Amino acid sequence: MPRPLRVLIGILGICVFAEPVLAEDTVDFQRDIRPLLSDRCFACHGPDAERREAELRLDVREDVFRVSDSGDGSHIIVPGKPSESELFLRITSQDDDVRMPPRSSKRVLSPSEITLLKTWIEQDATWEEHWSFSPIDSRELPQVKNSAWLNNSVDNFVLARLEEAGLLPSVRASREKLIRRLTFDLTGLPPTLDEIDVFLNDEAPDAYERVVDRLLKSPRYGERMTADWLDVARYSDTYGYQVDRDRFVWPWRDWVIRAFNNNLAYDDFVTQQLAGDLLPNATDDQILATTFNRLHPQKVEGGSVPEEFRIEYVTDRTQTFATAFLGLTLECARCHDHKYDPLTQTEYYQLCGFFDNLDEAGLYSYFTPSVPTPTLRLVDDATRQNLAGLETQVFDEEAKLKRLTDSRKAAFETWQNDLTTNSDEIPVPAPIKHLAFDEVKAPNESVAGKVGQGIRLTGDDGVGLDVGNFKRFQPFSIALWMNTPDVKERAVVFHRSRAWTDAGSRGYELLLEDGCLSAALIHFLPGNAIRVRTRTPIAVAEWQHVAMTYDGSSRGAGLQLYIDGEPAKTKTVRDNLYKAITGGGGDNITIGERFRDRGFKGGLVDEFQVFDRMLSSLEVAQLHDGHSLVDAIAASSRATDDGSIEKLYSYYLATKDEEYQSQLIALQKAREAKSALEESLQEIMVMRESPTKRQTYFLKRGAYDSPGDPVSADTPAAFPPMPNGAAKNRLGLAQWLTDPSHPLTARVAVNRFWQIVFGNGLVQTPEDFGRQGQPPSHPALLDWLARDFVEHEWNVKRLMKMLVMSATYQQSSSVAETHLARDPENRLLSRSPSHHLPAEMLRDNALAASGLLVDRIGGPPARPYEVEASFKPVGRDKGDGLYRRSLYTYWKRTGPAPAMMTLDAAKRDVCRVKRERTASPLQAFVLLNDPQFVEASRVLAERLLMQHGDDTNAALVDMFRLLTSRRPSDTEQQVLRDLFDQQLSAFKSDAEQTLQYLKVGDKPFDDSIEAPILGALAVVANTLLSFDQCVMKR
Amino acid sequence: MPEVCTGYESLAGMSRRGFLSQFGMGLGGMALGGLMANSSSADASGGILNALHHAPRAKRVIFLFQSGGPSQMDLFDYKPVLNEKHGTELPNEIRRGQRLTAMSGNQSSLPLVGSPFKFEQHGDSSAWLSELLPHTATVVDELCFIKSMHTDAINHGPGVTLVQTGSQFPGRPSVGAWLSYGLGSESENLPAFVVMVTKDKGGQPLVSRLWGSGFLPSRHQGVRFRSGKDPVLYLNNPSGISRESRGRMLDALDKLHRIQQSDNIDPQIEGRIAQYELAFRMQDSIPEATDLASEPEHVFKEYGDDAKTPGTFAANCLQARRLAERGVRYIQLYHPGWDQHGGLPSGIKKQCQETDQASAALIRDLRQRGLLDETLVIWGGEFGRTNYCQGKLTGGNFGRDHHPRCYTMWMAGGGIKGGMSFGETDPYCYNIAENPVHVHDLQATILHQLGIDHERLTFKYQGRHFRLTDVHGHVVKDILS
Repeated sequence: MPRPLRVLIGILGICVFAEPVLAEDTVDFQRDIRPLLSDRCFACHGPDAERREAELRLDVREDVFRVSDSGDGSHIIVPGKPSESELFLRITSQDDDVRMPPRSSKRVLSPSEITLLKTWIEQDATWEEHWSFSPIDSRELPQVKNSAWLNNSVDNFVLARLEEAGLLPSVRASREKLIRRLTFDLTGLPPTLDEIDVFLNDEAPDAYERVVDRLLKSPRYGERMTADWLDVARYSDTYGYQVDRDRFVWPWRDWVIRAFNNNLAYDDFVTQQLAGDLLPNATDDQILATTFNRLHPQKVEGGSVPEEFRIEYVTDRTQTFATAFLGLTLECARCHDHKYDPLTQTEYYQLCGFFDNLDEAGLYSYFTPSVPTPTLRLVDDATRQNLAGLETQVFDEEAKLKRLTDSRKAAFETWQNDLTTNSDEIPVPAPIKHLAFDEVKAPNESVAGKVGQGIRLTGDDGVGLDVGNFKRFQPFSIALWMNTPDVKERAVVFHRSRAWTDAGSRGYELLLEDGCLSAALIHFLPGNAIRVRTRTPIAVAEWQHVAMTYDGSSRGAGLQLYIDGEPAKTKTVRDNLYKAITGGGGDNITIGERFRDRGFKGGLVDEFQVFDRMLSSLEVAQLHDGHSLVDAIAASSRATDDGSIEKLYSYYLATKDEEYQSQLIALQKAREAKSALEESLQEIMVMRESPTKRQTYFLKRGAYDSPGDPVSADTPAAFPPMPNGAAKNRLGLAQWLTDPSHPLTARVAVNRFWQIVFGNGLVQTPEDFGRQGQPPSHPALLDWLARDFVEHEWNVKRLMKMLVMSATYQQSSSVAETHLARDPENRLLSRSPSHHLPAEMLRDNALAASGLLVDRIGGPPARPYEVEASFKPVGRDKGDGLYRRSLYTYWKRTGPAPAMMTLDAAKRDVCRVKRERTASPLQAFVLLNDPQFVEASRVLAERLLMQHGDDTNAALVDMFRLLTSRRPSDTEQQVLRDLFDQQLSAFKSDAEQTLQYLKVGDKPFDDSIEAPILGALAVVANTLLSFDQCVMKR
Repeated sequence: MPEVCTGYESLAGMSRRGFLSQFGMGLGGMALGGLMANSSSADASGGILNALHHAPRAKRVIFLFQSGGPSQMDLFDYKPVLNEKHGTELPNEIRRGQRLTAMSGNQSSLPLVGSPFKFEQHGDSSAWLSELLPHTATVVDELCFIKSMHTDAINHGPGVTLVQTGSQFPGRPSVGAWLSYGLGSESENLPAFVVMVTKDKGGQPLVSRLWGSGFLPSRHQGVRFRSGKDPVLYLNNPSGISRESRGRMLDALDKLHRIQQSDNIDPQIEGRIAQYELAFRMQDSIPEATDLASEPEHVFKEYGDDAKTPGTFAANCLQARRLAERGVRYIQLYHPGWDQHGGLPSGIKKQCQETDQASAALIRDLRQRGLLDETLVIWGGEFGRTNYCQGKLTGGNFGRDHHPRCYTMWMAGGGIKGGMSFGETDPYCYNIAENPVHVHDLQATILHQLGIDHERLTFKYQGRHFRLTDVHGHVVKDILS
């Protein structure tokens, strides 16, 4: 008999205690003692130096056996002698002031736990390093008595434990159960009737193995494995947080499907996702893999502090890395040293250092659909070629222009000669817009300007123009007089954009940053932009003439700043513009203010001019002083120094030389063509190292605005060092992770693959391999599997095959009295596990059985019926989109697919390596009433009636087989038949109800079938979709 | 014999009894199966706590969450100084360089705005209230105004998440989920934690993780009751399937499961049988609980005309009372729309019209039915609003930005002192002058009233014992009756 639940519920409501089947006479330190010390003692006597009491650590050997502070020479623990051990005396003391753990800790040791500690000390208090931090042992296969039962090495370990506990393994499951179990575990779908029949009739000894091989080759295998990885990767088709827009990341999901189907080795699978961009000669496909690290939620909410969220992204990547690949609860070390595991807060930020160095923003753009940088352009081969051709054309036209620069000297001289005879030329450049500010609208102020009146800006009231919507292939120039009242940390002088962070700054802008002029053309800040900044701050409280000229090249070198007519000394801060600077609204220039940005408060501006071409330096000088150009022309014939001739020649080419002009037009056309193609290319977020290394900081209390000391990327000291020659970047990190000597990577991986096959890991806390996690049920097996996995080149399909080929896997899952008495949780694997199928499989099962399932692999997310009923309803698809496999279901973070959620799908807000399995009545509503399941039931009935005509019993048998993979017994068949008959007469007496039922779902019903019969059979299918043997893995 | 702390529920926990406890279902479910007739009440509740940590003052909570951040100085916190200094710059000695949001933080000018609404004192307790809340004014002697609430968040997402889960970032269980986990439900056929969101309100978006269970088992997550025919997702039978047909289906299913039990004693089969029985009953109990048709006319009058329109705040308040009567542990209402960055005078007026009467009616209704003493009612949002204008102060129109440093909430019933005001803000309503109450303190107090020590209701996840209040929180003892 099962023990009453109340007894199973532990103290503090924290844990449920297992039946004592794991008991042996000897206390096992790893299994019994460290978890106890960790849970009750480490918070104050563990790795966290800040909170450590009495300078005592119970997580390190030296401290545990040292002399205590009592002053009487006693030791913390004296092996073999509890009564002389301070620790034991303290945990058994009757004195409240002395007893440990102290009352204030709200932690207690139960009498049986105290006994356990006592026994451990009596048995000489053996001490070992935490199992998962120690090297993976090479394990011998244990000897077993019943060697006939063994199929492969997995079984040695399992059977040895069972024999030790005096338990027998279960009999082999029936072939029908086996093929159902296998097909779900390896492909996530039920077997077809043909597949079942072939297997039932195959008497060859390798019949089972051939099914396994067939399934591992099926492209459905990759889909099934991917569904699991999406939880780990916190995959979502939307950005998350509040506004939660759609984002384009599904090509990464398809990358995962391909990786599993191509059996990409696990070390490569990990390396490419962590650092595909850093591999030598990285392919687009390898770079695409790194989208993994951009799948965390991203923020757009107005008013948010970008750095706060950028830090969240970095920590999310770091923590996901730790959970997914190391099984470590690293997040505990964000605000203080880890309380249980040897991870310091500094090490936390050192790990963050690997994930910090990319040119990203803390917010994505509200007003534009820009893909947050860094990005990868997704191009097919034809487009790639096309693009290369257009790039060559631009290059050719640029080369021609360059040649003209050398070959037009003669024409220049002719023009110079003409100048003397033709002096009525007026060489002042003509703007397309000129604001003289002789009149100013309040609350901005009219003040004495550089020429006549000028404007004093409030900083909150912009002056809008009606020009300025330049494209990035168009040259343009903007000139003005300005006068800043103080050294501005940040101020917007002018811009063409809808907003600052809320639009990713798309457009162009002239800012003051720390007093320096800073000009930029931007698609999305910071990673898709060019920016130049003056090397020194500009003068304060002085009128200065400022000009910004741009040549249409999308390159930093084409963007020039002038101060008082002279080219300013600038630094190119960003030089990576590869997409449009227009769009998003705010199409024209605004002076002095921008949405949620800091305006040019108290700044003076005058004579603001916009030009639709790049001015030459002489023209800028002319704008500044009103005579440079005139003088140069006047002095042209006398000019002797190269500098002035050069300047005049540039002016000549830019404004007078027809051949040069027409080449400028040809170049602009070539750039336009290239831009047009580039603007149309789809981008996806990926990882890419920033050219200038970002400094990572220790953050006090984990807060983004409390930086402490700078730290550099490194791995935690408790683990083997990074391999020789490994760079301190993500690629080096991946090399460290996949080094065969790493104690965690392979253990964590095989444990998760075990979990996929057996429902629970050998370590039941896959998210925590640390000291607070659960020790493995079969430590030797876990180590053997891990070692074997590494030795066989991290071959995932080989591992999966080994697991399902084991006799352990092929046991019956039936539960008998002995099981409940001796192995209630099945930790010893005395039978095959049973649990309800994951959400995806429950839905896919209905679609597959009915024949509705659409086979197509990959592509944009599908929107089945349920997305309409979510908390954030979105329109559903028509046609195929209703019937795709569930891993393709559109995933919206703020309102995930509700039926999937009811069936225990993970939310995917954060990395999750294990799902809850619950049983709520709300699940019954989904399986019984969700149109997806109702429609599938009806279509399944149609399919069977088409096949079997009047033979209802044959239809019922096939239906039962389709949904459970086995034939019904006579009594079961009678139950189905009775239900069918009763429902038939009910429907016969109510044609309208029947019709209503048949109309559920988009797919029209087959009106060649008698409606009540179809309805009644559909009701039977609808019922069976809730049947234990349909929804449970058995 | 070593007891190994697994942190996971055993297979035996999936039995019928286990199932019922799991979903927080009470005695009725068990009685129906004829099992466990002698269960203790602690078991019946389905909560994880064997016994409460101390005597509870409340059995349940109704949280009227006002999403967006209601302006404290236009509703509760009377600040004549702001009217005197209307239009002048926020003094630096008041602001003390504290961080502002990126929405108004770059404004060149931060002019103070006095409330355009009249304030008067009401009730025996002489509570100050603005003219926007005439109905609330009639129940002030039941309410405890906490004027010194403060939070860590300056934006909605993190702010609401902090109030609901104790952390600004996603991933933690919500208050309701903690209570469901700790106490289970008093109800036989209703979930322990129900959520209702006012329909068709714009405002800052709410997200379903706000009533999520985080790392707690998912059965503890809030069940959202929608307005309309299907209060719970797919609650109703598909078209054409009558109650009788459904009964037949479930009978057949039951028979199949009984057959299966003859050669497999897996307790999960019994659990599944119970699951479907309960589902069948819930198809009755939920519509019964959510159908307002049986409420008499005078009740609708009390809650206001809106109460007849499904999905309004008023209808949800009435609904909340019905659910409280039926033993739902935690009833969470959300009313969005309080985010008046601009156009505050007209915006807040509309919000008050939608909420004032029904909030007051709920208090009176609970009192009349003898439920108020055992029901803790909470009214308030994720933060307050700034004393200065966001954007341009033009004529009578203005807006206020988010303000985390001080704001007002009220509590009533459930062992809270009525007719009192707790905490003070400075005369500018910018910082707290006296008795600060952090969101974690509020949470500690809520748990305390339900008989729970907030430091002892924990769940071990990823090696750590998590709790609602993280490592913070103090019970606000001064407001307890």
